[in-house]
Amino acid sequence: MILNGIITGLIMGGVLSLPVLGVAVIYGITGIPNFAIGVIGVFGGFLTWYFLSFHMGIAILIGVAFCFAIGYIIQRILLTPISEMGGDATLFFIVTVSLGFVFEGLMRAIFPRPSISLALPRIGTINIAGVTVEGFKIFALLFALGTLVIIRLLEEHTEIGKSWQATSQNLKLGKLIGINTNQVFSIASGIGCSLACVGAIFWGSLYNLNLMSGWDLGFLGFIIAVVGGIGNIWGGIISALIMGMVMSFSGYLLGGMWQSVILYFIVILVLIIAPKGILGSERSL
Amino acid sequence: MKDRYEKIGTILILLLPVAFVFRGGYLQEVTGYVYLFLIQGYVAWFLFFKSGQPFFGYSVTMAIGAYGTIVLTEMFNWPLFASIFIGAALATGIAVIMFLSTSRARGFYVSMTSFLLAILFPRLIEALQPITGGRSGLYFGGLNALVGHKTLYLLVVFLTAAIVAFFLWIMGTKTGRILTLISENDRLTQTVGLNTRKYKILAYSIAGFISGFGGALYVNYTGFISSVDIEVFTTLYIFFIPLIGGSRVFYGPILGALFVILIPELLVPVERYLRIFFGLIFILVIVLLPGGLAPNIQKLLAKISQKKDV
Repeated sequence: MILNGIITGLIMGGVLSLPVLGVAVIYGITGIPNFAIGVIGVFGGFLTWYFLSFHMGIAILIGVAFCFAIGYIIQRILLTPISEMGGDATLFFIVTVSLGFVFEGLMRAIFPRPSISLALPRIGTINIAGVTVEGFKIFALLFALGTLVIIRLLEEHTEIGKSWQATSQNLKLGKLIGINTNQVFSIASGIGCSLACVGAIFWGSLYNLNLMSGWDLGFLGFIIAVVGGIGNIWGGIISALIMGMVMSFSGYLLGGMWQSVILYFIVILVLIIAPKGILGSERSL
Repeated sequence: MKDRYEKIGTILILLLPVAFVFRGGYLQEVTGYVYLFLIQGYVAWFLFFKSGQPFFGYSVTMAIGAYGTIVLTEMFNWPLFASIFIGAALATGIAVIMFLSTSRARGFYVSMTSFLLAILFPRLIEALQPITGGRSGLYFGGLNALVGHKTLYLLVVFLTAAIVAFFLWIMGTKTGRILTLISENDRLTQTVGLNTRKYKILAYSIAGFISGFGGALYVNYTGFISSVDIEVFTTLYIFFIPLIGGSRVFYGPILGALFVILIPELLVPVERYLRIFFGLIFILVIVLLPGGLAPNIQKLLAKISQKKDV
């Protein structure tokens, strides 16, 4: 049971780490907390489901590209201008939650079903120390960790990555040396929303997606990022894996109803005891 | 002097729906519902907008008042009024504990913690289904069975007016002025030798008690509560009441409550588009009318009267 719990927890944490990564990328670079990221990601998941019968690859591409475009546009026309007007975290909280309302409403209005499951192809089973695990779940975990490595490499070794770092460390200096900070912010927001979409697609394939899943994914993504130290990508991933374990074991020991109660309770305790997260953060809300 | 007229005007406006009792029916029912949320809206107006305390757990304090009343009355057979009082006192305790436990943190971390509590609480209610009824909820006769619906409606209207009058009064006192000062510049207030912690605890205590009392009143009026009624969106809607209506004027939350609670009633035929409409309106008001609806309506009326004079 313990090994089963650990494996389930790792997989849950791995899938959760994608929206966490999205939050960390957006907040780490722009300094703006976007609470609509989960709802936008789930919208992309619904879009993927809608086109899945045509072609799987194209359907995923449509979902991810749509989320990138939405992330890019809302950052460009709404969040960056508010930031330039001196908006604080509370204002962004209100605005992005309102944005979440809009996308949740659009899902209600557009899609015929309130709850979906994405039928992605399965890749057999793998036996780990006597525990049988679906190959697709392992793929989801590896994909999440691979994405993290790619983001880190992108950040360290490419021009755009360096401009991300420069902008997040000193916005004014970044502008002075000619970095188009608006563009950097918008791309970061687009990538963050795309990551949330990939997370939602995996979640929808392993479990299911409903109209409210976006809030859960977004808030969980955000609080797990806070626990890890907001803007700290590694902290976010470690925290996601730990939280996945917490969800898995509380589900096994106390039943599904207590899963999120225990999770949120632990997160509140962490926020009270260590407000800057378990690994700390250079940025603070 | 202008403030005084505005305060009196606000209370008189609040008392107008007493007349609905003669008509009864739907109008009375909806007005009672709007008033129950108006109490919570004024709590947010007082604690967040006037005292500058970043609290987002309004649905939690409201729910503790409501569930506290039902559980104590129905399961422990306590007298109704004692249960209402204890329910409100429990809400006060939670609000103060939230403040004390997060006082080491700053700014948005405090907001996040109380907001997470607002997410956690309905799930806790669902996990404790044998006691709380979870999503299926609990029915409650309470004051409705005791005094009848019309009397209860009048009680809701008068109590709301009294609560609003209390908030308007306290903001005019020395305590209110110190709370305003804290909201504007906490450090400066400390520097001049004021014990800001004491005043903040007082603000949380008042807000927690009235929110809990409002929750108890809610469950007495509606006769039912479930985890769905206290989900995280409830806390957001409560917060939006003074934000949309306008927090700088005394009657702002009244406009906000009419907007946030009444619009969904009017838009029932197109319910599936409600969230889109709300989301867009919230964004537009925040971005284009940062002071909320009330000051902008005032400006518009002033312009119209100027044109008439010309």
